[in-house]
Amino acid sequence: MAHETNTERMGNPAHWVPENLVGNMTLKELLFSNDYRHIALKGIFTSIIMLALGGFFALVFRVELAVPDVQMLGAKVYMTLMTLHGMVMVFGFLIPMVVSICYYLLPRVMGTNKLLWAGAAQWSYWILIVAAVLLVIGRPDFTWTAYAPMSFRTGNPLIWMGHLAIFLVAVSEFLAGAVLVRNALSGNFKWKSKPLIAWATGTVGLLFMASTLPLGFIGLGLLGDGLELTAFFDPSRGGSVKFFLYVFWTYGHPAVYLPFVPAIAIIYTIMPRFLGFPMWSYWSGVVAFILLAVGAMPIGPHHFQPLYTVSGGYERFVQFLTLLVFIPSVLHVFNWIATLFMKPIPASARRAIPFKFMVMSIAFIVYGGATAFLNAQIATDSDFIHNTYWIPAHFHAMFFGFVGQMAIAGFYYLYPYFTGRMFHQGMANAHFWLWQVGLFIKITAMGVAGYNYFPRWVYDYLDLPGWAIPQMFITIGGFLVGLGFLFFAFNLAWSARYGKPSDEDPWPVEHDEKAASAAVPAE
Amino acid sequence: MENALGISGPQAILMAITASFTVLGLVMLLAALFMGRRWKPSYAFEFGFIAVMVGLVFYADWSSNNTYTAYQENLNAEEKSLSGNYVGEGEDAFDRVITVIAFQWGFAFINEKDEISRNAAVVQAGDKVLFKIVSNDVIHGFNIPVAQITAEIDPDEKREMWIRAPDEPGKYLIQCVNYCGVGHAQMKAWLVVTDAGDTASLQGGETTNGA
Repeated sequence: MAHETNTERMGNPAHWVPENLVGNMTLKELLFSNDYRHIALKGIFTSIIMLALGGFFALVFRVELAVPDVQMLGAKVYMTLMTLHGMVMVFGFLIPMVVSICYYLLPRVMGTNKLLWAGAAQWSYWILIVAAVLLVIGRPDFTWTAYAPMSFRTGNPLIWMGHLAIFLVAVSEFLAGAVLVRNALSGNFKWKSKPLIAWATGTVGLLFMASTLPLGFIGLGLLGDGLELTAFFDPSRGGSVKFFLYVFWTYGHPAVYLPFVPAIAIIYTIMPRFLGFPMWSYWSGVVAFILLAVGAMPIGPHHFQPLYTVSGGYERFVQFLTLLVFIPSVLHVFNWIATLFMKPIPASARRAIPFKFMVMSIAFIVYGGATAFLNAQIATDSDFIHNTYWIPAHFHAMFFGFVGQMAIAGFYYLYPYFTGRMFHQGMANAHFWLWQVGLFIKITAMGVAGYNYFPRWVYDYLDLPGWAIPQMFITIGGFLVGLGFLFFAFNLAWSARYGKPSDEDPWPVEHDEKAASAAVPAE
Repeated sequence: MENALGISGPQAILMAITASFTVLGLVMLLAALFMGRRWKPSYAFEFGFIAVMVGLVFYADWSSNNTYTAYQENLNAEEKSLSGNYVGEGEDAFDRVITVIAFQWGFAFINEKDEISRNAAVVQAGDKVLFKIVSNDVIHGFNIPVAQITAEIDPDEKREMWIRAPDEPGKYLIQCVNYCGVGHAQMKAWLVVTDAGDTASLQGGETTNGA
């Protein structure tokens, strides 16, 4: 039986009685109920809408970039779409999606069956919605980093909405972090036997709370500077750009771990479920979570290393810590691959869509993470890495290839539990393969363009050698991903009504090929 | 190239190491999925693996630092001079000193003769060129792909960067790599490399011949 294989250190199994939760939910429940599954589903479905929106923005500007010299959007519209793509994907899709999946998993795994501090989770959700609305109305074009003083000299009278949205994102993430910490501390577990998802959400929750304080200050500071009430960051009125850079990247680097660590928590929760045996090592997971949380804050300055602001011994210190922060991720990946190696992988797992997405997200974390060993080094960073397309290649591999795909794996895993039906296996497979092929093409082509010094944030470019062909491939990869999303969206809507009713346990561990095809819909 | 930091420079060996452990990770994942033989690694194996990784961290830090320090020493030689355009001696000598003003959106290049160009830095083939870069508005980038080097400039700072100009005469891209506002994509200029015989002036060959 699948459930008995969870040792005391994994907590209760992430298992519910499949029921049509979505169909039986009233609108009032969806919007305001404090039931953990309602809150989580609200976050998950909002995130999927954000994914569609951010993806649509990306496809529009990918058309613009596919060939050099042809103008379709112009700089202003392009940069607005680019900024909204980044903000919607990170603040609207990645972080809320993995956090919502953790809201769904935590109460079950910890055995409390309710989300503690659910009110804070509600506020976190609604504040984020206000921020999203402000972003769409204000249409900022300052990219997600909003570098001062450029970000309040855009000539856009509504730009204050963008600054206010940054502040609201900080408030929303702070509250989400508090909820994660509170729930990680719940349940009847001793410290030495807390489930790994609790270690993950506990450490990353603290990171949320610590790192959003500087972000909140950045939001208010930009707002004040833009309205000429304050002068924190405006050098023409006595402010300092250096101050901005240090404060912003104190949030900006931990920010990449905010979706990353919950995605890792999902792996540690569902991998033993599919394999039917516990993880290879409990403690290397715990140590890795702690190291990652400790190492995240001081290394922000590597993001602006080619400025003189970071130099001398401090520059080398940052380089060394950045190289070292590689170690916790190596511990995680080692742990996952060792777990997969331990015993035969059940036939049921090999067919299960969430398991496939999980395996490929591990492949993408290796692809994007190991190559990032070069990013940390001052020499290579000052050559072809800093702010060329090498960087989007790296963070699309990590954010989309790993975090995004783990979010989707978690979604497919939970799907039968909240609809009472199994999704259509064929459509899910089409989604899976379109994403793997599209993502690989897109990320590799971005890396090639970056290696040829293609700069970030340009809406048009010269037809230099090695520039136009990778751009065309990125666009092709992007459209494959978009096509995959259509399969996903249709599948989740169609299967909720017409899918095969789920068994009592949608994910049993079966080693027999035939039994497996009965449990998991045939391919 | 003398000032190369990454692709063809001393960091090439680290690129090879990085590529090989990316492949190693993917091969191990495939083996874990498809190999018939099962294997439970010991903790000692993990500690050994992590020790190798930590060793790589030290090696990468040492290697990168050496490469970058060697590059920076040329600039330090310039800083030691009192003021104005440093000519230097022996290997420290710069053949050209060009002041660059980065602004929204473009570059202005001022050579030793106070000639200003809004779109080209004119140098001779093989010249060792020092760029003194300032920004008068926002954070800008300064990247010369052919010289394999990037710098960023914030508005409070002067920043220096040197290159060895290519031996092949021609037009090479100079671009901003930090988003600096809606005109960022237009913020580019040319490094114009003339034959070594020409006087490096904005008029290039014309000045030499027409004098």
